[in-house]
Amino acid sequence: MSIEKQFKELVSQYCQASPDELKVDSRFREDLDFSSLDFMSFLGELEDEFDIELQQERIVNIRTIGEALSMIQDLQEAS
Amino acid sequence: MKTYPLTAAQKMHNNWINRYGTQQVSGLSIVASLKADLDFQLLKKCIELEIKRYGCMRVQFTKPDKNGEILQYIVKDKEYDIPLKDLSMLTMDEANKTMQSWAYNTIDGDDVPMFEIFLMKLPEGYNGFFLHMDHRLIDSCGVTVLTNDIMSLYTHFRFDAPLPDDLADYETVLQNDLWKASNEKRFLKDKKFWDDMLDKWGEPVYSDIAGSATLEASRQNHNNPKLNSADIELKNLFVEVKDYKLEAYAAKQLFDFCQNHQLSMTNLLLLGIRTYLSKENNGQEDISIQNFISRRSTHDEWTSGGSRTIMFPCRTVISPDTEFLDAAYEIQNMQNQIYMHSNYDPDLIYEEIARRYGTPKNTTYESCYLTYQPLPVKMENPYLKDIPLYCKWFANGAATKKMYLTVSHTEDGGMNFSYHYQVAELNEKQVELFNYYLMRIIFRGVEEPNLSIGEIINIV
Repeated sequence: MSIEKQFKELVSQYCQASPDELKVDSRFREDLDFSSLDFMSFLGELEDEFDIELQQERIVNIRTIGEALSMIQDLQEAS
Repeated sequence: MKTYPLTAAQKMHNNWINRYGTQQVSGLSIVASLKADLDFQLLKKCIELEIKRYGCMRVQFTKPDKNGEILQYIVKDKEYDIPLKDLSMLTMDEANKTMQSWAYNTIDGDDVPMFEIFLMKLPEGYNGFFLHMDHRLIDSCGVTVLTNDIMSLYTHFRFDAPLPDDLADYETVLQNDLWKASNEKRFLKDKKFWDDMLDKWGEPVYSDIAGSATLEASRQNHNNPKLNSADIELKNLFVEVKDYKLEAYAAKQLFDFCQNHQLSMTNLLLLGIRTYLSKENNGQEDISIQNFISRRSTHDEWTSGGSRTIMFPCRTVISPDTEFLDAAYEIQNMQNQIYMHSNYDPDLIYEEIARRYGTPKNTTYESCYLTYQPLPVKMENPYLKDIPLYCKWFANGAATKKMYLTVSHTEDGGMNFSYHYQVAELNEKQVELFNYYLMRIIFRGVEEPNLSIGEIINIV
């Protein structure tokens, strides 16, 4: 399974949208209705699912699906 | 029958039962009713179906082993008694008193159902059901899901409304929770987060609602002038409840402030509480408050039932020079990190503190417990929207905490501040003062967010 597909399936467990409905510019809070708890729990699950270590300074700037996906790809490439 | 250990959230309630020696501390009760002539045979059928759909209701516990540990399992096929109780000849106040007395009952024994449910005929034409259940099986969000699902089943059979979607399987979600908790890498990350806090700030220090005298008394009791934790009341658990309303226009001011500054209401409330505790404890900067979070984020976690509410200490060290808004962001930052590490068992935090600093048994670092419930508890069913509802939660009458504040929204756009407090420790006047200053602090900060915490303490 591609990273993008795996990522979108994970996101869809947290919101009403199906993986196909998720767009790169979908915003976690405003469009997908993530609460702070949802978002932080989701990030924790991303770390486990993709075996990455998120950096606080990058987390705070993540607003959209595209930004999160690109962060995962960067971290996976770096490792 | 497959057995499972308890999750961290279930262990929290189980530990309270063991510490206080009664299951009463783990009771949760609600009545949900409609002003309508219900078909009780049909309602009974819907409740029976709900017990099959909502696996958490069928959880039972094994007899404790030699170490006092219990396991849980899910009963597959069992008949449950659902009697009808007729209180219609009473006034609503009298009916409430009767139901309140049921909420004090304990559900004792091993390998037994951990709930009871009655069909209810209430005064003034209200009819519905009363549920009394063990908190290790369900929390308030779970009860809301259950209530809505029963009424959706009822309207399906009665009015041909669509059959509600299946609820998530409790056992599958439980297995997933236990699997996450056993993930070594995740565990070490979570442990590091909590341990780092102790490395940075050292032992926490208790702050009391009524000032520093409580800690001083504990220091004397333990003959230790440097003691940082205070004794817990273990014998007299009787609780009183006091509610204060915040009008819609005032609540709107808080919502707007949160929205404009990208803050959550929980963090604003935590800031208000910690500022009051600082004020009452000689300007203490290191304050810890227990904050409950409901670990429900995915669809399955929302509809599987179970007890998913767990509390973590929100500890912040904030100097009086810090501006109100900056302090709010400091708390928000801490809370966000706690959310990310909320799979951790909070017991382990205190085990580590006790290991490092020798905290005496049955003492605590926190006097206040907060739950913020963003959603009003109501039945969301279009087929029932014009029918008056009567829903009421009943306290179990035994407080494990000195003061437990539940903040919720009201139907009219306002907010309700509901204080449960141990009468052995606090009186109504102290709770009233707490609420008065909490409002003064929060509104002063919201009006002038650039004021420092020290200035706000002096002004209010």
